Amino acid sequence: MKIEKKQLGFRIFGYLSSLVLTLGAYAMIVYPSFFHLSTEMAIVVILIFALMQAAGQFLFFLNIWKEGGPPWNLGVFFSTLSIILIIIAFSLWIMHTLDYNMMF
Amino acid sequence: MELNSESKVFGFWVYLMTDLVIFAVLFATFFVLRFNTFGGPSAKELFEMPFALLETLVLLTSSFTCALAMLGIHQKRKKFALLWFLVTIALGITFLYLEFSEFFHFVQVGASWERSAFLSSFFALVGTHGLHVCAGVLWMIVSLFHIVLRPLNLANLSRIFRMALFWHFLDVIWIFIFTTVYGMGHLL
Repeated sequence: MKIEKKQLGFRIFGYLSSLVLTLGAYAMIVYPSFFHLSTEMAIVVILIFALMQAAGQFLFFLNIWKEGGPPWNLGVFFSTLSIILIIIAFSLWIMHTLDYNMMF
Repeated sequence: MELNSESKVFGFWVYLMTDLVIFAVLFATFFVLRFNTFGGPSAKELFEMPFALLETLVLLTSSFTCALAMLGIHQKRKKFALLWFLVTIALGITFLYLEFSEFFHFVQVGASWERSAFLSSFFALVGTHGLHVCAGVLWMIVSLFHIVLRPLNLANLSRIFRMALFWHFLDVIWIFIFTTVYGMGHLL
């Protein structure tokens, strides 16, 4: 039995897109002025690239969605995502406020 | 049997999510402490982007070869799967070598975890990822024996699938390390 062409194509496309996103992010990190980006904009763009790549990893490399895996997977994933957002955003916010108030 | 392996994948997924929370805490610590260099080297002075890019490309490629190996597993082509798992292991070990030599270089130029809060949080975050990659490589080596010695029945398939899931998970974590630790370290 030959390796399914469609599945193989999926994975090659996933790999190529992750290469493009990584090299794109690298170019923006090293030469932000070439793209006429401010530092803040460059950070936003590379963060979006990272999110796209993370999504691509799961979409193209795993057939966890296609096989109709346990429906709870996504539920646990999104609740974890909310915990992570709370941890990161609030730590930064609290520590920044502390820092700001201790300065004066 | 079907239900059993499905619930095992679900259980493993829950483990991965808790692991994600551990990494989130380490990321948060790093973001808070990243400017506290205490007179030591800053992220911009220390990190070499070409080297970080090389590490990223090695790990990305290993994720791709792992996906290829899983294609072979799904179609019960053992030789095809073994070949690509061996390539994945080789790339994983290359990544570990690169990371270790980077750490060694940092310690040698006086930028060890004892130097500043920034470096402590850096080594904690990237070192934890490195430990996970070590575990992943060991697990993959054990899986090679499972593939060679046992038939690809449902239990074995589910075991190998979980291993591949772990490997892709590590790649996703590294993408965020590359972007936020190295990339933002270079930009800010």
